[in-house]
Amino acid sequence: MKKKKKAAAFNSLVFTKRMYLFLIPAMAFFLVFWIYPVLQLFYYSITNFNGINYDFDFVGLKNYSKVLSNGTLTNSLKNTLIYAVCTVALNNLIGLAIAMVLNTKLRAKGFFRTCAYFPALFSAIVVGFIWSYVYMPSQGMIASLINLFGGNGAAFNPLGNFRTALYAIALVEVWKGFGTSMIIYLAGLQTVDESLLEAGRIDGCTEWQLIRKIKLPLISSTITINVILAVIAGLKAFDYSFIMTNGGPGKSTKTLMFQVYETAFTDQKMGRASAFSVLAFAFIILVTVFMLYFLNKREVEL
Amino acid sequence: MNKKLTSLLLTGAMALSMASGAVVAHAEEEGYDHQAIENAGDITITMMVSGTATDNDFETEQLPALIKEKWPNVTLEVTKLPDDNYYTSLKTKLASGECPDIILTQPMYAGQNACYAMAEAGYLVPLNDMDSIKDRIDTMQAVTYDGDVVVATTGVSILGCYYNKDLFAEAGIESVPATWDEFLEACQKLQDAGIQPIVMGDKDQYVLQFGLYQIAANEIYPQNPDFDVQLRSGDTSFTDEGTWDKVLEMYKTLYDNKYIDASQSLGYGASQAITDFIDGKAAMTFDGSFNATALTAEGAAGAFERGYFPIPGTDGVYTATCLSAGESIYSGSKYIDECKELLDYWMDGESPVWDAYLATGRIIPTYGNGADSIPNYDLFKPFIDLLNEGKAFYWCNQAWPAGTETEMEVLFSEMVGGQGTEVEDIVEGMQDKFEDLLED
Repeated sequence: MKKKKKAAAFNSLVFTKRMYLFLIPAMAFFLVFWIYPVLQLFYYSITNFNGINYDFDFVGLKNYSKVLSNGTLTNSLKNTLIYAVCTVALNNLIGLAIAMVLNTKLRAKGFFRTCAYFPALFSAIVVGFIWSYVYMPSQGMIASLINLFGGNGAAFNPLGNFRTALYAIALVEVWKGFGTSMIIYLAGLQTVDESLLEAGRIDGCTEWQLIRKIKLPLISSTITINVILAVIAGLKAFDYSFIMTNGGPGKSTKTLMFQVYETAFTDQKMGRASAFSVLAFAFIILVTVFMLYFLNKREVEL
Repeated sequence: MNKKLTSLLLTGAMALSMASGAVVAHAEEEGYDHQAIENAGDITITMMVSGTATDNDFETEQLPALIKEKWPNVTLEVTKLPDDNYYTSLKTKLASGECPDIILTQPMYAGQNACYAMAEAGYLVPLNDMDSIKDRIDTMQAVTYDGDVVVATTGVSILGCYYNKDLFAEAGIESVPATWDEFLEACQKLQDAGIQPIVMGDKDQYVLQFGLYQIAANEIYPQNPDFDVQLRSGDTSFTDEGTWDKVLEMYKTLYDNKYIDASQSLGYGASQAITDFIDGKAAMTFDGSFNATALTAEGAAGAFERGYFPIPGTDGVYTATCLSAGESIYSGSKYIDECKELLDYWMDGESPVWDAYLATGRIIPTYGNGADSIPNYDLFKPFIDLLNEGKAFYWCNQAWPAGTETEMEVLFSEMVGGQGTEVEDIVEGMQDKFEDLLED
C-alpha cells in the first residue's frame, strides 16, 4: 500500500519517467566537458606532470605546500583583489549612473545607449592592443594630448610604473565592461513602477531621495546580479595582464589566473599549476558565496 | 663426404651471413628510404611553426607551393601560430596524439618547445641519417639528445647591438667599441650630444635577455665554458662571485646612467623600441638577427646606415651566437621517411626551397649556396668571424630549465624600476628558481 502511494507520488502526468531520457545528452556533455576536466585538475594537482612527459609521479600535497610557501600566491592574490575591487566598484557605479541618465526622457537616448555598450562588443585582445597604444609613453594617445597642451607626454607611462600598472589595466576592464552592467541596470530600472515615483514626487521627495528610497531598493536584485558577475570576472582576470603588461613591470600585474598560466606554460609545472587552480577555484567560490549571502541579506533588509 | 658437406654448408652459411651483413651495412649507410615520397601516393604532410605570417610568407605560402612543384602527390599543410598559441597548441596536440608531422623546436632546454624536453618524452625522431645532417653532426651538439640529432636546423641566431652610424658620427664616435669601458664612453658621448643612447622595449620583459646574454658571453663562459653544466651538478651557482652578479651589475650601469631610460623602457613594448630606433630617436638597441628585417627598415629618419656589433666585455669581445630553432619530426607521424626526404630537399643547400628560405633574410646559414650573400650579411659578418674563431657561446636560457630567465627578468625589472631589489636578490632568486624547476 505504502509502495503504491510512493510510486504514485513520483508518477507525474506532465513529467513522465520517460522524460528523464532527454536529460541524458545534456548530462553527458556536462560530465565529459566539465566534471571530468575538473576531476582531472584535482588528479594532476598531486603529480609532478610537466605538460609534456606523461611519465609522471605522484607527489602528494607537495604542490600545494610549494604554492602556499613560495610567495606567488600571496602576490597574485593581492593583485587580483585590488583589480577586482576596482573593477567591481567602478563598473557598477559608472554602469548604474549612466543607466539612470539613459532611463530619463532624453533625446537620442538609443544612440547614447549604443555608444555606451559599444566597447563591450570588442574582444579583450583587440581592446588590450588598442589601449596599449593609448597608454604608450611619448607617442600614445593620452601622451600626445598631454604634449598638445604643453605637458610632458614622455613622463606619462602608466603601464611602466609599478604603482599604476594594475590600476591602468583595471581601468581598461571597466571601459569595456561598464556597458554590460549598464544594460542590466537599465532593464532593472525599467521595471520600477512609475506610479511609485509619482507618489514620491507628490510627497515632496527630491531626485536623490527617489533614487535612494525607491529606485535602489527596487533594483536590489539587479545590483546583486551585476556585483556578483563583476566579482567573478574580476577574480578571473587574465586578459589584460597577459596582453598589455605580460604580468609586469616585475610582478605588479600578475593575477591569480596569470600566475596559473605562467606556472603551467612558462615554468612547465602543470601539476603545480593544477594545485594553484584548485586553490584559486576554492577562493573564488568562497568569495562569491559570501558576496551572494551578504547581498541577498541586504536585499531582504531593503 | 659428410665433412665436405658440412664445410660446404658452413661456407654457404658464412657467405650468406656476410652478404646479409653487407646488406645491413648498406642499409645503415643509406639511412632512411629515399624514395618514400615517390612511393607514397597522394599524401598530406602537416607542419606547425610559430611566428606571424606575412605577405607571401615562406612557411605558409612559398614552401607548400615549392613542395607541390617538386612532388605533385604531396600536400604540405602548414599552420603558423603566434608564440604563445603555438606552445599551447603543441602541448594539446601532443597530449591528444594528434601532433603535426613536422614541428618547430628549439635547442637544448630553451622555451616550451625545447628539444631536450620533447626528446626525453619520446616525441622526436632521430635525424642522424638525414643527408643534410649526417656531415654536420659534430656542430649540432645543442640539438643532440642522447647521441641523436633531433632538430634539423640550418643556421645560427645572433644577439647583438644595432646602431645608427649617423648618430654615432654626430656624437663623434669613430669606431665600434671594443671593450666595455669604450662602450660606456660611447654611451656618454651620445648622451652629451643630446641623443638617447639606447632604446629597449622592457615592457616585453624577455628583451632583457638580449643585453644580459651578450654580457654573460663575455664575462662568464670564456672563464668557465661548463658553467651551466656545473649549475646542474651543483658545482657552480648563480650566486658565485664574479659571475652573474658581475653581469647584472654591468647591465644595471646602463640604467643607472640613463643610457637606457627605465622610466620609458618599462612602458615600451619590443616593437615600439624598434620603431623608435628606425625613427632615429635612439642610437642603439639590443636585439637579435631574427629582427634584422624590421630593424633595417626605413622609418621616419629615412634610410640611415645601420651597423651591428657584439656588446664588448671587460677583456675583449665574444658573441652570444647559437644554433637556431629548427624542424623536428614527430615520432607518432605516419610519414617519418617522407618528412626526412622533404626536409632534406629543403635543407640541401641548393634547392629552390633553400633559395627561398635564404631570401627571407631570417636565417644565417652555416653551409650551402648563398651562405655568404644572404640579406644583411654585412651586418652579421663580425659575428660569424667570431664564431669561426671559437669566440661564441650559446644563449644562456638554452641551458636552463624554462622559467629561470623569467625570474631573472622580473627581478631585474624590479631593480631598475626602483622597487628596492638588489643584484644579490636577483642572483639568489635565479638560483632558487633554478633549483625549484630542476627539483621534479
